[in-house]
Amino acid sequence: MIKEKISSQEIIDLVASKASVSKRAAEEFLKVMIASIEEALMAGEVVKIKSFGTFKLLWNEPRKSVNIQTGEEIKINGYYKVGFVPDVVMKGKINEPFAHLEPVELDVEIKTTELIDEVESVSDPLRIFNEQASEIKNLISEIQALSPTAKNSAIKKTNEKETNTEEEVKIKKLPIDAKLIELNIEDDSKLIEESQSAKIRTIPSSLQSTTEHIIENKEVPKIEIDSLSVSELPTTPYLDNIQTPKKRKLWVWIVVIGVLIIGTGTGSCIFYPPAREFSKVTIANCQYTASKIAENLSFSELINTVSKWFSPAQKPVPKAETIIIPKVLNDIDSITAKQPVDSLQILFETPRVYKDFIASERITPGNRLTIISKRYYGSKDFWVYIYEANKERISNPDNIAIGTFIRIPKLDQRLIDVSNPRCLEKAKELHDIYIGSAEKQSTF
Amino acid sequence: MNNKELIASMALKMNAPKSVVAVLLETTVATCTELLIDDKTIGFQSFGNFEVRKKDERLSVHPSTQIRTLIPPKLVVNFKQSNILKDKLKDLPHHD
Repeated sequence: MIKEKISSQEIIDLVASKASVSKRAAEEFLKVMIASIEEALMAGEVVKIKSFGTFKLLWNEPRKSVNIQTGEEIKINGYYKVGFVPDVVMKGKINEPFAHLEPVELDVEIKTTELIDEVESVSDPLRIFNEQASEIKNLISEIQALSPTAKNSAIKKTNEKETNTEEEVKIKKLPIDAKLIELNIEDDSKLIEESQSAKIRTIPSSLQSTTEHIIENKEVPKIEIDSLSVSELPTTPYLDNIQTPKKRKLWVWIVVIGVLIIGTGTGSCIFYPPAREFSKVTIANCQYTASKIAENLSFSELINTVSKWFSPAQKPVPKAETIIIPKVLNDIDSITAKQPVDSLQILFETPRVYKDFIASERITPGNRLTIISKRYYGSKDFWVYIYEANKERISNPDNIAIGTFIRIPKLDQRLIDVSNPRCLEKAKELHDIYIGSAEKQSTF
Repeated sequence: MNNKELIASMALKMNAPKSVVAVLLETTVATCTELLIDDKTIGFQSFGNFEVRKKDERLSVHPSTQIRTLIPPKLVVNFKQSNILKDKLKDLPHHD
């Protein structure tokens, strides 16, 4: 394609009509302009024209070359040439059709954290049950290793305790876990501290709760073993522990943790069939090995209680509860973390209502929200607000149907302050949200 | 030589007030920009040609991090000096 070439004569005509001066004056002006620039350049100066560009002499080094006909070496002398660097204003105006494009980093992983989380929470129950099964097996072999007399007494003790706890289960919903974790304090106070600190941090991801779940479940059988081997541990000290005010606070935490554990357990059992089956299998396995090993009846009773001990986890505690607890805590945390709340922050937080519109646009081929945004608000980042105002018309902001009629909302000037990096940051945040949700919609 | 100095020297040559020269320069710049946006080549005889060129998108690799980045296409203004100007500059001795 050959571009239409405008000669200096045409420029003179245009300038003359625009500036309403005679053509002769315009012609003279242009001549003088070029002469002045040349003169300045000859003197080795840099010529800068506002909102146009900079002219500068560039030195080309002398170099050797070869005459292509004769093969003779020739020397090309060094020379100057006029270089031109367009001004930022000029650059921006010329590049407007591509202004909305931004460099894209390629090797960056796509944000699929939510999906990964889901997958992990699904596969987690399997791992938990696996660990539980191995722990139970260990427990059984431990018991087997004990001398028969000690075993009998120990079993009786534990049986008593187990029946007690079972009754408590019937009365309340969770004290089993609570009590068992209370035992944890005796044996391993460090762990409790750890889980507590984890609680304080309250990372509301299901992953976090499941890891806690794993830690505690791991510990539970150990305690069982300890109490069996010691075999003389009275139950009253634990109750005393509960009574002390310091521990009572802790107890509340423990109850919360218990709810979490039961909730996740239930959730996984109910919603993930393989896990459900697996739990059945493990329990059946335990019972099988138990019947093989144990000769007296009380021992198989113990196994039953052990298997029951996992069964409360299958009680239908509403799963929503477990999700709500950490979320609420997190909200409080985030509010306290954002102590310096200023007017701009409040502006960001308040839901935007679009009532006034300054203009309306029809989407044409090659027209994008970013371009429109740049035209009206001065930055392409603020396209999110246009999208927000036209959400019901636009299903996917990345691909708007041609001919869609959109309205440009009137925005608070503080919200679209191009010079304020926080405004841009907020817009980018929204951008991530909308682009993320659009991707999700397209994948499902 | 910046914008102001250019206007001053031109005003001296034209025997015209600086304000008039400034307006004329502004109009010329605006006209040229408009024409360039319309994808037209501007040729000033004895000086050179201004034209808009499209730089295609390209893949750039960060040398140390090896991150590949897709650089979008863009339009840039290119200036090519005329042969008349080139000849004028030919005999200019190298000074630095």
